[in-house]
Formats: sequence, C-alpha cells, structure tokens
Amino acid sequence: MTTLYLFVFAQSHDEFRLPELSSVAELNGIPYTLPLKPEDRDPTRPFMVIGLGKEDHAQILARRCILIKFVSVYEFYGQGSTYEELHAANRASRPLWEKFIPDTSFRFLVTSYNHKIPQSRQREVIESFSYMDFLGPINMKNPDITCAVLEEYFDTRGTTRSKHQGDGNFRQVFFGRLIEEGTARNLIVKFDVKKRSYFGNTSMESEISLLMANQTLASPGKIVYDPFMGTGSMAYPTAYFGALVYGSDIDGRQMRGKDKKSPGVIRAATQYGVASRIVDLCTFDVTHNPWRCGELFDAIVTDPPYGVRAGAKRLGRKRELSDRQRQLCEEHRMNPSSDDQPYIPPTRPYELSHLAADLVLLARYLLRPGGRLVFFLPTVTDEYEEVDIYTMLCEGMEVIANSLQDFGSWGRRLVTIRKTTSEKYPSPTFEPIHEPKVDHVPAHKDFREKYFQGFKPKEERGASKDSSTTPV
Amino acid sequence: MVRLITHNLLACHVKDCNTNNFPLEFKDAQIELRETEFNPEFVRGIIPKLEWKALVDTARELGDTTLPLELPEMLDDDFLKNLHHVLLEIHVEDGVMICANCKHVYPISNGIPNMLLAEHEIG
Ligand SMILES: C[S@@+](CC[C@H](N)C(=O)[O-])C[C@H]1O[C@@H](n2cnc3c(N)ncnc32)[C@H](O)[C@@H]1O
Ligand SMILES: [Zn+2]
Repeated sequence: MTTLYLFVFAQSHDEFRLPELSSVAELNGIPYTLPLKPEDRDPTRPFMVIGLGKEDHAQILARRCILIKFVSVYEFYGQGSTYEELHAANRASRPLWEKFIPDTSFRFLVTSYNHKIPQSRQREVIESFSYMDFLGPINMKNPDITCAVLEEYFDTRGTTRSKHQGDGNFRQVFFGRLIEEGTARNLIVKFDVKKRSYFGNTSMESEISLLMANQTLASPGKIVYDPFMGTGSMAYPTAYFGALVYGSDIDGRQMRGKDKKSPGVIRAATQYGVASRIVDLCTFDVTHNPWRCGELFDAIVTDPPYGVRAGAKRLGRKRELSDRQRQLCEEHRMNPSSDDQPYIPPTRPYELSHLAADLVLLARYLLRPGGRLVFFLPTVTDEYEEVDIYTMLCEGMEVIANSLQDFGSWGRRLVTIRKTTSEKYPSPTFEPIHEPKVDHVPAHKDFREKYFQGFKPKEERGASKDSSTTPV
Repeated sequence: MVRLITHNLLACHVKDCNTNNFPLEFKDAQIELRETEFNPEFVRGIIPKLEWKALVDTARELGDTTLPLELPEMLDDDFLKNLHHVLLEIHVEDGVMICANCKHVYPISNGIPNMLLAEHEIG
C-alpha cells in the first residue's frame, strides 16, 4: 500500500534533486511515485508529495539525500489552494490521524516558504483545525506528534514589500505530521573544504561532492575510481558512504601536497575516518594507464580538467624537444625518480570534447555492467543543446541524469551515465582524432578558448576576457 | 599502499610491452601492515578479477604464506579473512616495481607508485 509523504527540499541545485532521489531510492531498493501533475513535481518548488510503501523508506531517503531539508518529511494529510480545500482533504484523511485523537500529546506549527505569517493569523490557522478534536495535551517542547501547516508563496525577491504584505495569498498550503528530520545536509558542514586538512584550488565544494557521491550509488563493498583525483574531493564522501576508492592523477603533487611524509589525500581521509577505504593512489596519465583488465569498478566519479586552471594534459608533445628536455627524458629513463621530484614528463593539451568522449569509452571498459560514470562537463550556456551530450556517447552507455549548475555565461552539467551492456570491450586507444559520430559540434568543444574569449557569440569571438567566475 | 590488490590489477604499460609484463616485481619493498574492515562480500566479489598465482607468489615473496597455491572451491570464512589480509592489509610504502620483460622501473614513494611513462615509451 502506498502512503503519501510530504518532503521539504533545500532550495539549492534544483536540477540535481530528482536524480539524487532516484539514485538513493535505487541504491536502497525503494519504489516511489512522484506527483502526476508536472507543476507538482517542479523542482524549483520547495514541497513535493511522494508516494512510498513504508515509513522506513521516508527515513532512509531523508538520511541520505543531500537535497532534503532538515525539518523535512511529513505524513501527508492534505493540500489546497485555499484553506477550504485543505480542510476538505484533511477530513478525508481522517483514517490516518484519528488514532491520535484520544490521548496523544501534540503541537501545531504554522510555517511558510518565501513569506512570514503574522502570529495572529498563525493562531487563527491552528484554531481552524479544531474539528480534529485532539484530546491529548498540547506540548510545545516534547510532544508525541508535531502537525505542521506549510504555506508556499511565490518568490517575490527583488520587489519591495512591507513585512506581512500579501499574507494569505499563498500558492498552495500543505498539512501533515512530522515523521523525520533530514540529517544528510549536516554532511555539507562535515565535509566543508575550508575545514579539510588538505585541499587545493581544484577542490570541489562539499555539497556538490556529496551529490556526486550519491550519484555513484556508493555503499559498502563497492569500488569507485577517480581518474582525475587531484585533491580527492569526491573520494571522501564516497568512502564515507562505505565504498572503497581508487584515485589516480597525472600529477602526483596534486594528491600529495607539500607534506613529505604523508600524502595530503590520506591526511584528509584520516580526518574523516576513511583512510583505510582509500585503496590506493597512483600517478599516471589516464590515456596511458596501467590497469591490467576491465570491468573493475562499480562507479567512476570525476571532475575532468576543464583546461582553464587545472589544464587538461596528456603525455606526449606537439613540438620537437629542446636539447635540455631531451636530456631530462634520458635521465628519467636511466634513473626513474619518484613523482615528487622535479622531473615532469612533457605533456600536451587535451581538448575537452575529445577528453569527454575518451572518458566515456574508458568507463565502458573499466566499469562492471550496470556501473555508473558520474562527471562534470563544463559548457557554454547559450550554445548548449541536448545533443551535445550524445556526441560523446558510445554503444552500451546510456545517460540517466544530466543536471545543470548554472554560473551565467557558462555552466557545468553533472552527467550520470550507466553502462547498460555486458559485452566485453577492449581498452580504448585514446587516438587523438575522433571521427564525430554525430554531425554536430558540441558547445563544450574548445571550452578553454571560449572561456578566455568571454563566451561571446560565435560571430564576435575576439580576444577579451570575461571577469565572471573562473572555472577550475 | 601499494596494497597487493592494486599490485594484482596493474601491469607494465610501456608501448609494445605485452608479454610477461605482469606481475611487476617488487624490489626494496618497505612493508607496513594496517588493519582494514573485513567485508566478506567484497572479497568474494573481487576473486574473479584476480590473477591467483601472481597474488600467491607475491604474498609469499613478502613473507605471507597463508594463501593456498590453488584457489579453493569452498570459500570459508578463514580463507576469506586470509585473502582479505593479503589483498588489503599489506602495504608497500616504499621501493620499486620492475617489469620482468622491459625492465621499466616504477618507483613507489610514501605509498604512491609512479606509473608515468617517459616519452619514448608511449609511442
Ligand atoms: C579539475 S582537477 C580535479 C580536481 C579534484 N576533483 C579535486 O578535488 O581536487 C583535474 C585533475 O586532472 C589532472 N589531469 C589532467 N590531465 C590528466 C591526465 N591526462 N591524466 C590524469 N590526470 C590528469 C590534473 O592534474 C588535475 O589534478
Ligand atoms: Zn614492461
């Protein structure tokens, strides 16, 4: 039997909300139903009524979904665009709440979204529920049950209004009984980059890292790999959710930091109590990788180099070596030193659309069937088209989520791809030139150049630089 | 780190080094033992990915003789615990890994192996 629950979502990263809910539900084997009307599952709205088979399931979701708010999950009794409608619905829900009539202690809360309700009307609202005839004592501090009325107002930011102006002109009002406080948002503070013992200018903010970790379906017994590990931002929440993690990077110093003794990534993992779940860190160019076989990982989670700050590189070079460089190469050959020594192998730039297509091919090889690739793709907002994502896909790999984080003229898309095939594929060759499978140039092609030209429309691309947020 | 599970999953990847390029040989290995939580499902699940002989030989070289030469048919708890220990709790912190075929030397420092190739090795 399905029971309806009212969920309160954080107003943050709207497009990530339903993909996260779907991932956490899949991970825990939780069937759920979304509202039928599109406007009722609009992720820009704070409330959503979701059907679940068990109350336990609501708890599991509230404890793992980063985008579910603190005071957040209610057994749903009714909603309406007026109080008449709400009360009619609530009367019809009587079988759900009549068990609380005889002797349950209770309190009523009246809250709102995008508005502040004056105290006098809060009292009126509570009195309008007197037909429920709860006989137990009112207890504001420690009641057996908390019932809440939640009024949703349209966003009026940017307009000047007096304090309670528009009171009562809500879009929708909801009513239910509080059953669970979402705790997952506490993790955003726990994994705060600024409080981490090791981070760098490529570190990913904690909320996004957590969302990415949820997209991987991280849980005990799984192995997850980040081939552009850097300072390891996604490894920590992924390991915290129980998975074992591998990381590699072309530049060992990104994973080590300055401390000569213990690698930075291990120090940060120790701070979170997950050091033993970082299986290993390796230094190599992912386009020349030493993995002995495929189908190793349950997920690959990564933030590929965009080519702006943490430039995309690969081994090899376009131009001839200077004598000095040739000598260095020779020295390295005769006497290989560890990766924290000054020798840095020659690298050449790696264009983003090639890198993205290569990453999908690599994931198809390295993921076990059903495994997921979760990664960010930066893109030019005005030029992006849905088909861009498909220019990098290959057979056996299917996009299951694609959520935009919008920074204005540019943005980045968190893409989740599932390996749907159980065929065996060879390791990709990383040939520099890809024949485009689709006759289409994606907006993320030459992202670095577009970035430094300030994302001008195609016709007027010149040489000036944008001053907005810098992609890393 | 380098744990033996990792050692068992990495091969020499120098261009055209395709035979006898696995397993890499440890030299001057500095070993540390570190406890890791035991997850029998994980250990069971990774077995099909392992090169058994290479694992047993490497473990023995490093002084652990708990694994049988042949993968047993019955995977009882004692066996899984030994395998868990060999795969995840033996860490090579410093030393080198050498390819038996092309002799490329992969150095390990503070537990991180440098698997980067030089320019003439990538073709
Ligand atoms: C955007 S950063 C990743 C940041 C990371 N998520 C963190 O938390 O710090 C990209 C990383 O990719 C690495 N990189 C660039 N080209 C590479 C390649 N061909 N193979 C492996 N790593 C590469 C860079 O050294 C850099 O650390
Ligand atoms: Zn070799």
